[in-house]
Amino acid sequence: MSSANSTTSEQDAILRSGIDRSLRHPVMFFLTSGAAWLAVSIVLGIVASWKVHSPELLSGCAWLTYGRVFPAHINALIYGWGFQAAFAIIIWMMARLSRKECKAVGTILAAGHIWNLGVALGIVGIFAGFSTGIPWMEFPIFAWPVLLVSYISIIIWSFIQFRVRPEGHVYISQWYFLAAMIWFPWIYITANTLLLCIPGHPLMGVAINTWYKSAILFLFFTPVALGAAYYLAPKVTGSSVYSYSLAKLGFWSLAIIAPWAGMQKLVGVPIPYFLPYVGAAATVLLFVPAITASINILKTATSSRDVLKGSPSLQFMTAGIVGLVIMACAAVFLNLPNSTLPLSQFSMSGYGFQILALYGFFSLVMFGSIYFIVPRVTRREWLSRRLIKMHFFFSIYGIMTVALIAIFGGIQQGAAQEAFEQPWQNAATSAFPYAVATTIAWCFILFSNVFFFLQLTLMWLRLGRRSSHPTLLTSSHDSSSSPHGDDGDIDNAGPAFQATH
Amino acid sequence: MPNKNQHSDLDESINVTEAHGRIVREAAACAREKRIVQNGIEPVSLWALGACAIVFVIAGGILGGGGNLFAYGTNFREGYVRTPAPGAADSGPVPKEALVAYMAKGAKIYSAKCNGCHGSDAKGNGATFPSLVGSKWVLGETERFAMIVLNGLQGPVSNGTTYGVMPPQGIGMSPEDLAGVMTYVRNNFGNSKGDVVTMEMAKAAIDVSGVRKKVGTSVTGPELESDHLKNLSGTPLDPKTLVDPITLEASKLP
Amino acid sequence: MSFRIFILGLSATFGVAWLTVVVVPYITMKNLKPIELNEAVDGAKGIFYPKRTGRIANGARVYAENGCYLCHTQVIRPTYAGNDLYRDDWAGLKADPDRGDTRRETNAYDFFGEKFAQVGVSRLGPDLSNLGRRVESIYAAGKDPANWLFSHLYNPRNEPKRYQSTCPSFRFLFVERTIKGNQSSDALPFSVDQNVEIVPNADAKALVSYLLSLKKDQAIPAVLNFAPPKNKG
Repeated sequence: MSSANSTTSEQDAILRSGIDRSLRHPVMFFLTSGAAWLAVSIVLGIVASWKVHSPELLSGCAWLTYGRVFPAHINALIYGWGFQAAFAIIIWMMARLSRKECKAVGTILAAGHIWNLGVALGIVGIFAGFSTGIPWMEFPIFAWPVLLVSYISIIIWSFIQFRVRPEGHVYISQWYFLAAMIWFPWIYITANTLLLCIPGHPLMGVAINTWYKSAILFLFFTPVALGAAYYLAPKVTGSSVYSYSLAKLGFWSLAIIAPWAGMQKLVGVPIPYFLPYVGAAATVLLFVPAITASINILKTATSSRDVLKGSPSLQFMTAGIVGLVIMACAAVFLNLPNSTLPLSQFSMSGYGFQILALYGFFSLVMFGSIYFIVPRVTRREWLSRRLIKMHFFFSIYGIMTVALIAIFGGIQQGAAQEAFEQPWQNAATSAFPYAVATTIAWCFILFSNVFFFLQLTLMWLRLGRRSSHPTLLTSSHDSSSSPHGDDGDIDNAGPAFQATH
Repeated sequence: MPNKNQHSDLDESINVTEAHGRIVREAAACAREKRIVQNGIEPVSLWALGACAIVFVIAGGILGGGGNLFAYGTNFREGYVRTPAPGAADSGPVPKEALVAYMAKGAKIYSAKCNGCHGSDAKGNGATFPSLVGSKWVLGETERFAMIVLNGLQGPVSNGTTYGVMPPQGIGMSPEDLAGVMTYVRNNFGNSKGDVVTMEMAKAAIDVSGVRKKVGTSVTGPELESDHLKNLSGTPLDPKTLVDPITLEASKLP
Repeated sequence: MSFRIFILGLSATFGVAWLTVVVVPYITMKNLKPIELNEAVDGAKGIFYPKRTGRIANGARVYAENGCYLCHTQVIRPTYAGNDLYRDDWAGLKADPDRGDTRRETNAYDFFGEKFAQVGVSRLGPDLSNLGRRVESIYAAGKDPANWLFSHLYNPRNEPKRYQSTCPSFRFLFVERTIKGNQSSDALPFSVDQNVEIVPNADAKALVSYLLSLKKDQAIPAVLNFAPPKNKG
């Protein structure tokens, strides 16, 4: 582990490919079903966003009223896509980092199917009018225990793998994944028990719900994405992590700060006065762990320009980390209680910030991980670099639009809301252009992901390219310089091995 | 030469070298992977430290605005008093002309206390309840009218006819109520006296009623003629003065 | 960092925050003591209990199921947190004929009868804390407030002043049926055909009953009254 660009020995490669082989079915299951939910969520997002500015679309149907389509959209995005992508990345990376094959494929697959069933029934429940009316927890009340049991059945094996890992240093990604795996059930059980099972004060229910929304964003999706990024950046470039002590500092600052955040959305609501201000301070302070991790990962990823330009995983991951930086700045900008918070509190900047976190940061890093993992797990390479580029650029266009809306549109809408001498219609109308922009952004994102779904399905069906040469975004015209042999040369195992025939 | 079209995952080959070769080819992706190197020890850039310091200061400011931390019992800011709307008009109801405001108040009292007997058109029923429209006692001196309302009436009325006994209405009646209902009856139903019985006058009436010789009983025509044939004391109020429609006090706004 | 230190550190950092921000306030608010009214200061005796009449539980369920909380809030923020109190008719009525200026902030006793306070996520539409008051006193003054709300829910863009409203149409909460005998009192003032009337179904009636119960401008005890002291001239 001393020199920078050392390649691995043959035996270790065989061990790792054994791990990949054992994980093929669970990982591909989570990725394909997650991608399917992503498609559903984006389509629902377009419908919901369209209804904000043109409510007459499909207006007679109870199942398609905005108040049901939007919760279905956000819940499908979080529980259908977000969690399943996280599962795939967690089980694969934890297995690789613990150097252990997966021994519980059957259980994980069964649990995965149950997760999908739970989500599907929950979404149908929302459409049919059984939503609980609690933001991000709209699944009917039966769903959460099912999802919880399924979650535990999936990630417990990664815990076990960690506990029986060979002696050695524990890498930062493992800490991030372990933390996420422990935080989520704690948060989930708390919120669901206190809101749905035990009667409490109606306003504290709201407070715990807003805490929940922030907590799963910063204490599950963020650490999973950071763990994945910390894995990919040094792995693909071969460079050392820029500053490992900074990495640990970033982790602990996230652990200390993030659990306090969330209630800043409730300034002015009659809950204990200090709670929203603590939440606002914590959300602002999240800048620190975000920037710490971002500097580390970006410096590592950009240490080799050529590798960055060529690798799809690195490009997506880097874009995701840039999204994290933007999100951290937005967290500071939007949550200042005396200036911007009253404006952003009930405007569309809340939704924009959440999508920036879920798509602009988490999903882009997940895409990067997927472009890395799937070839290893299916032993095929991606078919077309052009499709990867389309996926990348249109996602960027879409998410940049959402970011601008969150930061600027929300503040403007908030200012119009606070202008009390004007009739309310002015404030309502000021949101119109931003609603249109959101619809366009989702269309871009759908367009980009069509290419992703296409390639992912082909890989799942093992119709990818049989090659030992990875699909890179830059083509090397001088094929003799490529360490992987001639471009298009199938079945070339690389320089370490010569074919006997 | 092995047939390349026969390659599949479950393909077993007796040829060990070939099998070995195939396994390593299939691990090609793993073979080309690099190891994670994690010992970087670069120092943190000053810009990042500076940005974090600024964020800490901002967060500290936010926490400072949070009042007493962990004060679970208070749901509002300590010492909070509503700040008035910047640049907007004073809050509160729009002031109305005195006559309009008093009559509005009186209308409510009338419908609660009077129209059961005197009728919603104040014409009475001709036998037990006299009409108030054009009545001398209603439109005449205010003290006489006030005594009737507060104490009730027995015996013949202003036109000489004897109707039923009127019960006293003064119990629990505030000066605003009395002033309102008197102004209302004097300026409605076809009456149009044009003046306002003010709260000050009504208060004087209640005082007078309390020191009557026959306090506690209803008044009679002769008593009204001898003791109460005068107007109530109090400064007359221009009916067009702007007052607060709720408190009936003179409005401070221009 | 060993695994044990990791677990301890994680539990400590998360646990302290979890206790402070979630568990303790949950327990404190659950045991919220009712306010004793003081005869001298508040003008009444007993316990402060803002009454709400209407089908609150059923209506709140319909409100939640149809996602009204996504575009409408139900909180009037104090003046240090926003300008909600300055609008003419959000926090109450600026010029109620009986009580004058009835506008006030939301307090912790305002959501009795509901399991989850629908404070709301964003304000694409106006705040609904005092919708019942607004409908009765302003929008449907002199007419039946329930009928006004039924018409609004059926098609929010029906009213000329609201042609730009982006509120969804809740046509699915109504049924069309042939008129038997007299027209139902709930029927909408317009219809698709001569012999057909449009009537609200049970969900619509519960929802409207709930919406009309939204009057959060009752008199409050002095301890919750943040109005600036009046200077007696």
